[in-house]
Amino acid sequence: MIETFKQNRLFAFYTALVVLLVVVAIFAPQLAPQDPYDGNMRNVLQPPSEEHFLGTDKLGRDTFSRIICGTQTSLFMTICVVMLLAVVGGAVGVASGYFGGKVEIILMRIADMMLAFPGVVLAIAIAGILGGSVVNTILALLAVGWAKYARLVRSLVIKLRNNDYIIAAQVNGTRTVNILWRHVLPNILPMIVITGAMDIGTMMMEIAGLSFLGFGAQPPTPEWGLMLNEGRQYIQTAPWLMIYPGVAIFVVVAIFNLWGDALRDVLDPRNE
Amino acid sequence: MTKFKLKKIFKRLSLGLCGILAAGVISGCGGDSSGGGGDPTTLKVGVTNFADTLEPTQNYFGWVVMRYGLGECLTKFDEKMNITPWLAEIWNVSDDNLTWTFKIRDGVKFSNGDALTADLVKQSIERAFVKNTRAATFFEYESIAADGQNLIITTRKPLPGMPGYLADPLFIIVDVPTEAERDFSKQGPICTGPYMVESFVKERAVMKKNPNYWAGEVPFETVEIPSIDDPNTRAMALQAGDVDVAVNIAAGDIDVFKGNDKFVIDEIPSLRVVLARMNQNPDRILADPNVRAAFISGCDRETYNEVLLKGTFLPGKAPVPPSLDYGFDQLTDPNAYNPERAKTLLAESGWADSDGDGILDKDGRPLQLDFVVYNSRAELPLYAEAVQADLKKLGFDIKINTVDYNLIDNMGIKGEYDLLISNIITANTGDPEIFLTWYWKTNVDGSNPQNGSGYSNPEYDAKLEQLSSEFDAAKRRQLIIELQQILLNDSASIFFGYPQTNIVNSKRVTGVRMYPSDYYWITNLIKPAGN
Repeated sequence: MIETFKQNRLFAFYTALVVLLVVVAIFAPQLAPQDPYDGNMRNVLQPPSEEHFLGTDKLGRDTFSRIICGTQTSLFMTICVVMLLAVVGGAVGVASGYFGGKVEIILMRIADMMLAFPGVVLAIAIAGILGGSVVNTILALLAVGWAKYARLVRSLVIKLRNNDYIIAAQVNGTRTVNILWRHVLPNILPMIVITGAMDIGTMMMEIAGLSFLGFGAQPPTPEWGLMLNEGRQYIQTAPWLMIYPGVAIFVVVAIFNLWGDALRDVLDPRNE
Repeated sequence: MTKFKLKKIFKRLSLGLCGILAAGVISGCGGDSSGGGGDPTTLKVGVTNFADTLEPTQNYFGWVVMRYGLGECLTKFDEKMNITPWLAEIWNVSDDNLTWTFKIRDGVKFSNGDALTADLVKQSIERAFVKNTRAATFFEYESIAADGQNLIITTRKPLPGMPGYLADPLFIIVDVPTEAERDFSKQGPICTGPYMVESFVKERAVMKKNPNYWAGEVPFETVEIPSIDDPNTRAMALQAGDVDVAVNIAAGDIDVFKGNDKFVIDEIPSLRVVLARMNQNPDRILADPNVRAAFISGCDRETYNEVLLKGTFLPGKAPVPPSLDYGFDQLTDPNAYNPERAKTLLAESGWADSDGDGILDKDGRPLQLDFVVYNSRAELPLYAEAVQADLKKLGFDIKINTVDYNLIDNMGIKGEYDLLISNIITANTGDPEIFLTWYWKTNVDGSNPQNGSGYSNPEYDAKLEQLSSEFDAAKRRQLIIELQQILLNDSASIFFGYPQTNIVNSKRVTGVRMYPSDYYWITNLIKPAGN
């Protein structure tokens, strides 16, 4: 592990940043200097000052505290989405790749159908029908994204399933569950992890996008996309309400994208 | 490998920088480039339009027909809400108060050149009654007759508000016989206003000069009316010179125009009130008057209006705004801001935080309320969020449910809410009788569909009945004051605030005015500057 970091300085650096973000997210309520929900309504739209590092918003809440707490919301939602995508997409992919036949045909045609829609538009439609909330956003992005993972995993499993060690296991009478768990999963896991890691940034953007449009997190949740939308009305008179959440999204998405790239380079067997 | 990576990092970084620059440009170009210049024969007005068609009897679309300078009524409200002649020159009522005679102005022509006669007016009013059931909520007539230029309306019971009713855009006078060869909803009706329709879609209307206009020269050849629903975009369009006039600039942007000598703001107290209906049907939490009173007492309305909305709204108290003389100052609000009282009331009704989650509960039911709002008016979500934050301190859990404006009316009728916010005009017929009836008169099996809240008070209904046939202005005023006091005592609804309404224009044009009734935006008084 330490050896890996030594060999890949950049990866180590990005990992440190990611860890920092996660720490910020976990301890957000303790780190935020003020209550992100409760502002002084007599003190609204204040420009950045000593007391309010990044100013206050339309209800007098401290923007800096809200951005810090927004890390928690954004990261939590993103990680939920990516993990669910990997699990659901992975399961569908393994099933259709390993069993083939009718199972494969049916599952893959459904996946094709999902892939035929433009992703974000479909997500907006689903989130719109379900109504805006954190859970519904996660469901909408899950419904849109699983097909990509299923496709990927299926092609990996098809390559694996005729390998000698799997045939040997089948001949030995190993239960299918065990074959999948012991022999198939470990071989496809690195690819899923890489894909997931590369997707974190994209998902974060999409979550923020849905919230910006009003389909994601609902007020008063501190969420960056929602904060952008709230700040939009004051873009001329209080621009800090849009700039800082925007910068937060930019920085965090950039970190996760760079980290995902570096992780791929590390895990890619061709690099050894 | 490293080279490849570095390249990628540079790519990312430069992309990021582009983003930051773009943000800078957007916030930077907010200045005041009211360039434009443009064509002096064209007027451009940035509006908010809710109408899908120009059929004046459909829904509330008549408002748009009137605002766009197309349609006119028999009567008109002036800037003090007095009823003044428009297409009717003069009117009177018989001694038994049942027969109204309106003398139609001579020399008025429709835009196609047809002369306006009492008979055409009769057809037009009858058409409104056939096409829209709302007409009957204003008045019911025994007969309408045309005698030369006199229109004679006979009613079954005395209706003091008649001249005001006929000022409602539902009763826009259209040339009914032309309906045979014209699709009113797509091409617009033939009316008597200064402008007529060239093209119309919801997002954009183009009007042109009515060559047969009866009240003097029409100043512009063309009027372009883009509907810019987002208040922020509308303000920017005005700054950029894309439009000459913009209606309802929101609190967030008004400072940009104040003290800027390129623009003129006409801001007046409107006749509107922002209120939230409270669903008090038996199974609802708000059925308990104590909870309603606590809710209202917990809202710091003064701060919402004076600070959050920067004084573009006056703090709310009673149903009828102080801009109308219906005793605003003498009404007492039992639920003025008092969070301590709110806590006491909730405790009295048995609400307590038994599970320590910060939300009160009673018999296992949390104090959770569904607050329905819509976004097309910038202040509504702001009120809702401010209430949410204030009442959380008292142990309310307010869920804000943002829906499309088109769903609001139906949700209100069906009662699918705990709280439902709206921005409502209180005196569309000249006084608040209709407003006080629609939202609070007892609704028996859909007899008064607008009241979906379940509010019912026999004393209130009796006074309304009295009001509906009272001609004496002083007595009407007294009744309206008493009605309001009943609503306040019953904590029937929460009245958040009263909007100032504004219309802002660049100095390229003059004569732009906002009227309290909100019906008249584009008039032939708007002229190019310097003429």
